[in-house]
Formats: sequence, C-alpha cells, structure tokens
Amino acid sequence: MLIKLEDIRRYYTVGTEVVHALNGVSFEVSRGEWVAIIGQSGSGKSTLMNVIGCLDTPTAGRYWLNGKDVSNMSDNELADIRNREIGFIFQTFQLLPRDTALGNVELPLIYRGLRAKERRERARHALDQVGLSNRVTHRPNELSGGQRQRVAIARALVTEPSLLLADEPTGNLDSATGLEIIGLFEQLHRQGHTICLVTHEPTLAARCPRAIRISDGLIVKDGPGPQVALENRTERARAAAT
Amino acid sequence: MSLRVDLLEGGRIALRTLGVNRLRTLLTLTAVGIGVATLLAIVGIIQGLNGAFARQLASLGTASLNISRRPYVMTGDWWRYRNRKQLTIAQMQGLLQQSQLATAVVPEVNEDGRELTVGDESVSGVDLIGTLADFQKVWGYEVPVGRFLTDADSDAERQVAVLGSEVAERLFPGRSALGESVRLDNRPYRVIGVLGKKGQILGQSMDLLVLIPFKTFLAVYGKRDFQIDVAVDDADQLDKLEDEVVGIMRRLRSVPPGSADDFSVNRTEQLADTYRQLTSALYGVAVGVGLITLLVGGIGIMNIMLVSVRERTREIGIRRALGARRRTIVVQFLFEASLISAVGGAIGTALGLGVAKVVSLVTSLAAAVQPLTVLGGILFAATVGLIFGIWPAARAARLDPVEALRYE
Repeated sequence: MLIKLEDIRRYYTVGTEVVHALNGVSFEVSRGEWVAIIGQSGSGKSTLMNVIGCLDTPTAGRYWLNGKDVSNMSDNELADIRNREIGFIFQTFQLLPRDTALGNVELPLIYRGLRAKERRERARHALDQVGLSNRVTHRPNELSGGQRQRVAIARALVTEPSLLLADEPTGNLDSATGLEIIGLFEQLHRQGHTICLVTHEPTLAARCPRAIRISDGLIVKDGPGPQVALENRTERARAAAT
Repeated sequence: MSLRVDLLEGGRIALRTLGVNRLRTLLTLTAVGIGVATLLAIVGIIQGLNGAFARQLASLGTASLNISRRPYVMTGDWWRYRNRKQLTIAQMQGLLQQSQLATAVVPEVNEDGRELTVGDESVSGVDLIGTLADFQKVWGYEVPVGRFLTDADSDAERQVAVLGSEVAERLFPGRSALGESVRLDNRPYRVIGVLGKKGQILGQSMDLLVLIPFKTFLAVYGKRDFQIDVAVDDADQLDKLEDEVVGIMRRLRSVPPGSADDFSVNRTEQLADTYRQLTSALYGVAVGVGLITLLVGGIGIMNIMLVSVRERTREIGIRRALGARRRTIVVQFLFEASLISAVGGAIGTALGLGVAKVVSLVTSLAAAVQPLTVLGGILFAATVGLIFGIWPAARAARLDPVEALRYE
C-alpha cells in the first residue's frame, strides 16, 4: 500500500464554531493507481488533499505514506516528506515568476541539497519528459497556460516522488489544453506513477480508473471512475462516446 | 537539509531580489548608509582629534612640573585656592638649591589677551609671559632666529622681547623681526629672538605668545603671583620629582604635618585627563546621534522586509510545499535584510570617509579613519539588518503553507 488513511478527522475552529472538514475518512491507494477525489466545494476534498500532501496534519486518525506514519511528524520531517515523496501540481501552477522554467523545476532539488550540475541535468530531463525541452530558459510569463502547467508537472516529476498530487490541474486551462494535460497524466499513469487527482468535474473524474466521492467530510462512494463520477446512465453513455 | 545549503540558497535569492525592487532597495539602503556615514564621520573626527591632541601634548615637553597656587583644572570650591599664600622668590630659590632631581627651576608670570603693535600692524589675544633663561629648557622651545632671554636681561630689567612664531609672522610679514621695536601696553620692546613653531592644541595656537624678562614683567605690571616650572631629565622620574618637590615646598611654606598642601603641583597629563573627561560626554552624544540614525535605518529595513514577506507570501507557500523548512525561509529573509544593510553600510562608509576628509580639509580638525573602522562599519550595518530582519523573517517562517499558497 502506498497510501493508507485510517479514520482521518480534521476539525477547524472558526471563531467560536468548530468546523468538521473531515469526519473520519479511511481508504487505501496501491502503488501505480490513478485515483480521482471528487466532491463539491465545501465537501472536504481540499482538506483531504492537504492532509494527503502533508501540508496539513489531521486532528485525529492515522496516515501512512509509503510505509511511514506521517500523522504525528514534526514540521521539519513533514517538509522532508513533501520534498521526497510528493509531487504537487496546482490549479494555479504556483511557479516562481522570476525564475526560468529550469530554475522552477530545479527548486525542489535545491531543498534536497543536490549539487548544481546534477540538479540541472535532472531538471532538463524532466522538462524533456513533458515536451518542453525548447522552453528551458523561458520565464512563466513567457509561456502559455498549458506550458506553465507542464513546467509544474516537470517540477513534480523531477524528485521522482512516490505520489503525484494534482489539485484541479485543468481548472485554469481551456478544454483543449486541459485534454492535453489529462493525456499527459494518462501517459504518466501508464509509466507506473501513482496519481491522486482532486477535482469537482465529473467528466475528468470519469477518465480515472478509480474515483472516491467526498461529501460533508465523509466518503460516500468509492469505485471505478465512471460509476462514481457520473450520476446516471446517459451521462456515462455520453462520456463513453467521447 | 544542511545549513550550508540554506545559506547558499538564501544568498542566491537575496542577491536576485535586490535587483527586482531597485528603487525600494536603494531608498532603504540609503537610510542605513546615512546612519553609517554619520557614525563613521563622527568616529573619524574623534579619532583625528585624539591623535592630534596626543601629538600636540607630546610637543609640550612632558618632563616638567608646574607649581602654582591653583591646579590646572579646578574642581570644587575655587575660593580655597584664592586664599592660598602666593609663591615667593625665596621659595623658588630654596627649591633650586634643595632639589636633587630638578635640572631647571624657572618662574613664570602671565598676562592674557595682550595686544602688540608695530606701526599700523597689530596682533591681539597674545599671551604675555615673564620668565628667565631656563624657560626654554623646561618647555623645549627652539630659537631659530636671534637668542632667548637671559637671566642678565631680567636682572637689568631690559625692555626686550622674544616673539612666538605666529606673532612674528603677523607683525613682520615676509621680513625679519630681529632688532625691530614692538609696542606692548604702551611700552617699546626690542625683539631679540623668535621662537620655533609649536602648532595648535584643541584649535588654540601655541605660537601666539610673547616672552619678556621676569623682573621687567614685575616692574611693569607690579604683579607678584607667579608660578614655578620644574624640569627633570626623564619623564619616568616625574613621580619622584613630584614627591621631592612637595616635601621641599611644604617645608619652605611651613605647612604643618597632617594639613593639606597649600599649593598645587600640575602636570600636562592632567590636561589630557581633563580633555578626555570633557570630550567623552560630547562623543557619547555624537555617537548616540549616529546610532539613532542607524536605528531609523534599521526600522526602514524592518518595514521593507515586512512588505516583502507579505508580497511574497505565495512564494513562501510554494517553497514550503516543495520541501523548504522553516529555517530555510528564515535564513533567506535574514540574508536579504543583512545584504541590503551591508550594501548600505558600504555606501555609508564611503560617504563617511568623504565627510571626514572634507572636515579635515576645511577645518583645523584632523579627521582620521582607521582601516578597522571601515570594516567595522560594514559589519555593523549588516548586524543592524540582521537584527531588524529577525521579526519579518520569523513572520515569514510562521506562515501556514496551505494559507500561503492560497494568498492572492
């Protein structure tokens, strides 16, 4: 098992009110799986993504990532786990505007303490993997939205993480570019990467082999992507046709 | 991740960021620069002053004592000194006979602020001293032109004078004063010699003086309150000389055992002490002003760093998500604050040196800055940046990565 969550709860205090963002979530993801986490805004899926990504720690429950219990780790340990085990891909790309594509992809390797030469080699290779070997010295504002997301994917891949964690990766892209990016994810899935994709779009989740639906901080459905993501037969038929 | 990596990456980011907000960075480092410049100029002027004072004091002849009714530096009840008995010629002669260590004993009587005239030329504010031949030995005066006073001049009450170099230059510009007649308090004096130049102490000329024979002075001014200067071969013997002189004087003046001396023994070192006492307070204030300027600069750094942290909240979130530890973020921002400060410090150092140089050229104050001060200025500025960067850096590191990534 790559990911194992056991009765994960996350409560926030907003003013005097306690918000129950996650109410006891348990599931497992095997190595090489491609799982969509689907839910409407406010369902708790963002909180779940933050917990899986080790950006946030659960109030209660246990979480094992790649065999390590990360639910009670210190801030420094979590930083190292994020660096080694997780490749983030965000809706808004989250690139450093003043760095080149190469500089952005290099960044996690700097925090790993690699030497400049090795960093650059690996970053070039990662950009090559996403088809951007001719955009190495471009800055984010010189790139299209799709190219920016490819840089972000290269940055996620460069550390050879055990999990790719994507948060609405097509949310800021037009549909054609979005499909390209999904194609890239399919390719990465075939290469054996484990992918967690958080989205509110049923059509996107339907493309994943497995989907988990979250509502009010609980898992309400877990199964093959099309069945979980699409509510009725006609939607499923339409999705299958495309 | 190691601290080495933190520092390298912190430095790289800091250097890059300086180039991004050029105007803002420039304004901030100007504030620090002015602080450092102020401080350095003040320190330079102080160092220059101290150096000049030490050199001038050394030129005064340090192997001598002065016996007077009053100390050089009066503290407490000044009237105590006024009521003391005057020194007498007999006491001076007794001292000369009884002292084993003294190489010269000479009386000295003064009138300040005299005016000397020759035709239309006049010099005022001249220090008039009545004394004998050994005065030259005690104070180490050169006499490059003519001769010094002799005891015979005094015994015969001759109307002769030896001029200080500045007096001679101003009364007889471009020509020799020797043998000429000068008027002093409506009496004519023949110039028999001109003293070598001594320079200034605390901006006051040591060459604005005129010497006349001791007994001539007494006859003309009717003043009897004189001082006695005693010289010794070696400055190391001054303590012994002082003990001896005090003993002899107490006997000659019949001071009962157990009573305090009714005279004062003065040394030029006392002037140095007084100088230090007087100036240290002034320096304290001046350095304080410099420090306040630097404090203002430091607050500027803090302000700019707080703005920077806010502007770069998302960047901090990204870095944290990709594996930067809190410490990495702290080092990054501290590096930036120190770097801005150090650059400001370097500019301020150049500026401060310039000010000190201009001061030394324009005024008679010899400003001097030691090389170590320059290095100190830059390091000090960097430290100021470091200190004022702590709070903004801590704020940056405390940011929650999730919140930071969401920040617009």
